[in-house]
Amino acid sequence: MTEKTNTGSEKVMDVDPGLFTFAEFDEVSSERTGYSDYSYWKSTFRVFLKNKVALMLLVFLATLILFTLIQPLLPGQKSPTEIYNDPATSMQLRNLPPSKAFWFGTNSIGQDLWSRIWSGTRTTMLIALMVGVIEVGIGIIYGSLWGYVRKLDRLLTEIYNVLSNIPTVIFLLLLAFMMKPGIKTMIIAMSITGWLGMARFIRNQIVIIRDREYNLASRCLGTPTRRIIMKNLLPYLVSVIMMQTALSIPATIGWEVLLTYIGVGLPVSIPSLGNLVNEGRLIMMSPELRYQLIFPVIVVSSITVSLYVLGNAFSDASDPRNHV
Amino acid sequence: MLKYTLKRLAQSVVTLLLVVTFVFLLMRLMPVEGYFGDRSDKLTPAQREAILDKLGLLDPWYVQVGNFYKNLSHGDMGTSSVYRVEVPVIEVIVPRVPYSVAFGLIATGMSLVFGLAMGVHMARHKGRFWDKTWTAYVVFMNAVPLAVYLLFVQLYASSLLKLPILFDKHDWLSWILPALSMSLGGIAGNALWMRRYMVDELNKDYIKLARAKGMSSSAIMVKHVMRNAYTPMAQYLPMAVLLTIGGSIYVESLYSIPGMGGLLVDVIQRQDNPMVQALVLIFSSVGILGLFLGDVLMGLVDPRIKHEKSEGAR
Amino acid sequence: MNDKTPILSVKDLVVKFSLRGRILTAIRGASLDLHEGEALAIVGESGSGKSVFTKSFIGMLDQNGWVDSGHIEFEGHDIAGYKTEAEWMKIRGGKISMVFQDPMTALNPLRKVGMQIQEAVELHTGLTGKAAAKEAVEMLDRVGITNPALRANQFPHEFSGGMRQRVVIAIAMACKSRILICDEPTTALDVTIQAQILKLVKNLQQDFGFTVIYITHDLGVVANVADRVAVMYAGKIIETGTAEEVFYDPCHPYTWALLSSLPQLGVKGHDLYSISGTPPNLFNEIKGDAFAPRNPKALKIDFVHEPPEFRVSPTHTASTWLLDPRAPKLDPPAAIQALKAKYARRQA
Repeated sequence: MTEKTNTGSEKVMDVDPGLFTFAEFDEVSSERTGYSDYSYWKSTFRVFLKNKVALMLLVFLATLILFTLIQPLLPGQKSPTEIYNDPATSMQLRNLPPSKAFWFGTNSIGQDLWSRIWSGTRTTMLIALMVGVIEVGIGIIYGSLWGYVRKLDRLLTEIYNVLSNIPTVIFLLLLAFMMKPGIKTMIIAMSITGWLGMARFIRNQIVIIRDREYNLASRCLGTPTRRIIMKNLLPYLVSVIMMQTALSIPATIGWEVLLTYIGVGLPVSIPSLGNLVNEGRLIMMSPELRYQLIFPVIVVSSITVSLYVLGNAFSDASDPRNHV
Repeated sequence: MLKYTLKRLAQSVVTLLLVVTFVFLLMRLMPVEGYFGDRSDKLTPAQREAILDKLGLLDPWYVQVGNFYKNLSHGDMGTSSVYRVEVPVIEVIVPRVPYSVAFGLIATGMSLVFGLAMGVHMARHKGRFWDKTWTAYVVFMNAVPLAVYLLFVQLYASSLLKLPILFDKHDWLSWILPALSMSLGGIAGNALWMRRYMVDELNKDYIKLARAKGMSSSAIMVKHVMRNAYTPMAQYLPMAVLLTIGGSIYVESLYSIPGMGGLLVDVIQRQDNPMVQALVLIFSSVGILGLFLGDVLMGLVDPRIKHEKSEGAR
Repeated sequence: MNDKTPILSVKDLVVKFSLRGRILTAIRGASLDLHEGEALAIVGESGSGKSVFTKSFIGMLDQNGWVDSGHIEFEGHDIAGYKTEAEWMKIRGGKISMVFQDPMTALNPLRKVGMQIQEAVELHTGLTGKAAAKEAVEMLDRVGITNPALRANQFPHEFSGGMRQRVVIAIAMACKSRILICDEPTTALDVTIQAQILKLVKNLQQDFGFTVIYITHDLGVVANVADRVAVMYAGKIIETGTAEEVFYDPCHPYTWALLSSLPQLGVKGHDLYSISGTPPNLFNEIKGDAFAPRNPKALKIDFVHEPPEFRVSPTHTASTWLLDPRAPKLDPPAAIQALKAKYARRQA
């Protein structure tokens, strides 16, 4: 038998000898120690809230949108389409720089730019939101069928291939060209070209849920499908859907401006950010009239940049790898 | 390798046929005014019907498709109705191709050079000043509509740098603004792609091994990460060039460049259906060609495809 | 065992990670000595900290981890304090090299195998160019790849898993390091290939004379290759000794439990032994012996004070209160006693 000598420190010498007796064994508490309290959504929000820039933009954007909606109800607002004439001369009050009467000035035919901009923002945002919602709707339905119903896989894949190979610009132009200019046309055209991405994503997620090993394992253990969908699939899905929608709005606004420039966008009678930018473009070379371009551009840029940053910030935050 | 190329070729041809046929059929829905040109209001319904019949537009759809391919094999894509009345479409388009291709190549080249460099720079300075600065640039390019920021490029570059805004092929200065405009978005895209790629690769196991064997971070960046970037890059390169050609519609129009994109804008505004049809078909095909060439290029560069041995390597 | 100074000496190392806003103490004061020329195995469950422990020797902790305190004495320097890449570059490869667990992802898929070995050669010997390439081929030959010249020009996907691991070992050899750390080198391989790889490392060790640290949870591997064994639990080394001492005269209750879990020690007709509970949550501070909650025969003091290191023999130490003279006599489980008896008979 070998000698057992103490190589530790001295202070252990003056310890209550009563401690050298056997303790009671609690099997239950031995299991408890290994618990991990990870919560996906809590971690997502924690990471998101750490992003100061995103938070600022969120507040800014919310304020902007709120204001856009409230604006017509505020006192002293003018109509966006009415042409204002100088009472003295009965001449149209064209191209007036910003003043107390017209906060953003007037455009080339005498309309109040301030109210036009907010009205245009409402129109454009409406289109963008509708498009976003429809894209997601069609995308989810198509994607779900595509991923879930094996028999339809080949057909839906071929359709997807054909549609996705047509450059979006071209497709959009064609559609807008074929239909009469108007809000409905815009919404339809952009929805038709926009749902592909979401459909592909949903389909991939569903295929994953069927074939990934952790889902097979869950099923083996008897987990009901509903729970698999809620716990394994939905969190990630919801984050990506939110992100995609946030990013699709700047894209839609971009298309609207482009289509309007080419001439197949909204008619001039409906103010929209696209229209306003184009009207501004026509006179942008004269410095004193430039405000007509700058104001709509500022609004467009603010909205698109905010949404883009927010979309990406949320996407980063919802990636579990960043929950460290 | 050969098998791979042939397989991809076959797939591309099938997709091409499907796409072209689909687009052709879709365009049967174009407003018929576009076939009559300026005389549209002055025609009686009977005259309209006669014109449509002559153009074969009243035939059943499968007959139309058949005729379309038949004519295509002769190189006949119809004649313009408004833009250049009675002139064969091909004649109008062909002289415009060199400009679009030239700009496509230049713009892609610029966006690659600047974009990739920016991406590497961002990855190297990840989280610090330059990364944030370039990210701001990328965010702007991606978020703000192209149609908007290009206006400012035109505005300020021309007034500050005195660069011409009307294209003249003999004045090399007039090439600068359009080429730059076309490349701005690509620079942002490439930068973001490269940065993401580098960050992802840097997390991989083989990079850990390279670190463990004593390689410095910069050596790893150059010899492993950037070299590996060639492969995915090769795949997307041809596509990028071809898409730039198609996507430069706005720029060509802004600077009055006599290319295919500007032409498309014109013929849409003037409602010239045969021209619209031809251009749309060309642009649609171009994307598929790009994908195919990209896959071929990748096959040449990626050793995993090049040395496709059967399973069970000893 | 020789009493020269150890080639690597770790004292009370503490490594922490910042995770989801909280601090996790992965290594809670681990101490270990490594002697030149030996093969030391670090055993422990998943999550015990074995990998993190060795990664700290070459400065390859994840971004959110750091050495909080403690010393790592190597070649006269305390490398625990190294922070810059320049400092670690002096160690990585040339002095201490590492073989990772998964051979399938350890190599750059788009570069030739020979080139990847050549890089190591050029970094750590004076050779460059053709001479370095030749040395790389020589390394491939050493690790048992047939047709090395041909193979050097091939890509990783043309090699099987076992062969890729040989390539990784070749890269480590090319570094000409003093210490080789093998982090679960055979876990991802077939059983037959496992034996080959272990034999390869053993032979190379004899030829080149370096020191090896094996990290593994597989006691079979340990029995095969190790001179000495260190048992790790919850971020601390709780028992160290020669392989014989740890297998046949284990002193720490965790080592008893670990050995008892070997299916080979199971008695026909009875349930297989398994340790109840799970390893502790390292976010929380641990009082006393970390193994106590899972130890049916724990002493009250195990929950209060951390056991110091007790020396059983010049080469055998264990950190358990059972070795304190005031502790009650406790016999190891029956299975362990049977092992002991078998060993004693063999010695006689």
